[in-house]
Amino acid sequence: MSVMGIIIANACDGYMGELTNKRTMASLPFGGRYRQIDFMLSNMTTSGIRHIGIISRNNFQSLMAHIGAGEEWDLELGEGGLEYLTPYSQAESVTAFRGKMDSLYSVLEYMKYGVQDDYVVLADAGILCNIDLDAVLDDHIASGKDITVVMKSGVANGKKIIDLGVKLDKNGAIADMVSGAAATEDYLSTLYLYVVSKDLLVRHVRDAIAHNLFSFERDFVLRLHQQGKLSVNVYPFEGVALFTTSVQEYFKSNLAILDEKVRNDLFAGKHPIYTKVRDRVPSYYGEDCRVENCTVADGCFLEGSVKDSVLFRQVSIARGAVVEDSMIMNDTVVGADCYLKCVILDKNVVVRPGTKLIGTPTTPVIIKRGEVV
Amino acid sequence: MYFQKKRCVAMLLAGGQGSRLKVLTENTAKPAVPFGGKYRIIDFPLSNCVNSGIDTVGILTQYQPLELNEYIGNGMPWGLNKSHCCAQVLPPYERHDKKSGWYKGTANAIYQNLAFIDRYDPEYVLVLSGDHIYKMDYAAMIDYHERTGADCTIAVRDVPMAEASRFGIMNTREDGTIYEFEEKPKQPKSTNASMGIYVFKWKVLREYLIRDEDDPNSDNDFGKNIIPNLLNDGHKLMAYNFQGYWKDVGTIDSLWEANMDLLGKEPAFQIRGDEKRKIYARNNAHPSSYVDAGAVIRNSFIAEGSEIYGTVRHSIISTGCRIGAGALVEDSVIMPGVTIEPNAIVRHAILGEDSIIHRGAVVGGTFAKNEKRKISVTAKSTEIAANDVLQPGEMR
Repeated sequence: MSVMGIIIANACDGYMGELTNKRTMASLPFGGRYRQIDFMLSNMTTSGIRHIGIISRNNFQSLMAHIGAGEEWDLELGEGGLEYLTPYSQAESVTAFRGKMDSLYSVLEYMKYGVQDDYVVLADAGILCNIDLDAVLDDHIASGKDITVVMKSGVANGKKIIDLGVKLDKNGAIADMVSGAAATEDYLSTLYLYVVSKDLLVRHVRDAIAHNLFSFERDFVLRLHQQGKLSVNVYPFEGVALFTTSVQEYFKSNLAILDEKVRNDLFAGKHPIYTKVRDRVPSYYGEDCRVENCTVADGCFLEGSVKDSVLFRQVSIARGAVVEDSMIMNDTVVGADCYLKCVILDKNVVVRPGTKLIGTPTTPVIIKRGEVV
Repeated sequence: MYFQKKRCVAMLLAGGQGSRLKVLTENTAKPAVPFGGKYRIIDFPLSNCVNSGIDTVGILTQYQPLELNEYIGNGMPWGLNKSHCCAQVLPPYERHDKKSGWYKGTANAIYQNLAFIDRYDPEYVLVLSGDHIYKMDYAAMIDYHERTGADCTIAVRDVPMAEASRFGIMNTREDGTIYEFEEKPKQPKSTNASMGIYVFKWKVLREYLIRDEDDPNSDNDFGKNIIPNLLNDGHKLMAYNFQGYWKDVGTIDSLWEANMDLLGKEPAFQIRGDEKRKIYARNNAHPSSYVDAGAVIRNSFIAEGSEIYGTVRHSIISTGCRIGAGALVEDSVIMPGVTIEPNAIVRHAILGEDSIIHRGAVVGGTFAKNEKRKISVTAKSTEIAANDVLQPGEMR
């Protein structure tokens, strides 16, 4: 049995404002030293998937700079390995992909004529979890169903719009399936992680595009399930899964790693999460620094006070500065006597001494990459 | 097979036992000993090579090479895994003649690998040790060697006259040429201490290695044999003055001191910054470190993957360590993967990899300023039982 992975890099770019101006969802920094795609890439490669395509429509420069030839994930291979599926056909879907079926259609040739694979694991780069894909594959095969959807309880809350929700009956069979609805708490929500046979996927992608249908969840899974043409296996995932489909959610998910349970599940779970190595020195804590309930990546130089925050690589916090409830990305400098609360400082930001920036958990202040404030 | 001609090939002597590091090198070679939170000693010469544009490095191993070989791997962390640049591990081997066997000395180790160097047909060979902590631009030294037309150039540093008798001293004329070499002289004539870094014209070194091998009375050592022979035969030997931090970490005390030299706002050894002189290391996929609300950290290095709940002062905490609530770590070097349980106290210590200090145990002590420091040491994977005591200077 041979399995290929496909990761959609751009799924929610449109909802992330300035943070994805110059990068994809996949290359959005996360959790101090990662890019979001590190999680799905590590999930796939540690499960032995050695043939992975990354579909990216635009802004893929930062993504390629991060992953390169995939050395850190052992994907630097002669056969298979990593493929960047960038748009090459100007004739079709010139603007943004209208849906996942559209994205998949644009890489149909790659799926058909690449290394011969039996199954496809399809994932979104913006879902952060540490999952054993071997177990999902085994479950898929054992189920004998057409498609397996990895789903999670506790996501649907009656407010959040769920792209694919399922309610199970007492026997674990699907009692109801919805798409694009604010499903109630008794529904499981998709983790945008699917296992499907390649032949079946190729056939249905062609068919969907021929009928001008673009949504994977609504037009493919839900529609065909309702028509009795697609048997669906639900794989409930019990571990931690973080979503980053809006700025607010992204901010919350980053700060969530301050919780030991979340950290242990994401990083000390089934396998390590690999990322690009940057060779920064260990972080230095000065004589008068105060660091409380923070995660700190390598290369930081800390002389001020930091509380309940996530510090990425090589961040400097000068003496007298106070940082609370914030995430500060690579190479950013916070000057002396600043006060920052609920802020997202992108990479290479300089905050001049004495600056005050105060946001709220739901609307954090965002400072763009490279800005001086 | 095609081998690219190289201007300079580096040969890194990494086979020594490092017996003065005691329990730290019982089961591992000295160059593989952890340093500075996330590095191993060999990262320094290896990174210096890469940063100096030397992309072909032979690494001569002999003593307990498992961890060292594993660490070097294919050379990827240093970018030495390409078609025409390599980090090649060179262990002793069996040959058809009687010359096979363990490396008898530093010169013999290179002699046994003439074939490796010959493949690259280099102008120069750089000989390095795997037990020094420093950042150095070897390219500048090789340029100097080329400019002066020397057959051998030896890097030296100025040491205080009082300490000169502990080193190999190069006595030089005004123009920097060496006229005499004295190993640990009782009455030193100068303060130019050899750093154990040599650049040779390959043709000249090659000839002397072969002659040295034929001499049954030779110790097959660079300092004792090759350098004196070159001097006696009237070859041009130059001293190359190096200014900057350099430390031989061959003893427990010097290893501890070199680690402490990384600390402070303006540290004695500045490892931070300067992208062109970056030290590369093999990375394990650790997440960021976590610092708890109850933790206190002062003047310390904390590497990724560590979790700090207790108090850490003037110490190096390496990757993947856990310092429990109420624990105190002071003036210590904590190597990767160490667990210090709640309320344990560790002072003036080097804790070997994966050691576990159980609850309430006390390791080491404090010393008055004029008192001699005694460093307590644990070997890899040592456990100190709950409420047990490891005395100052004790090793386990």
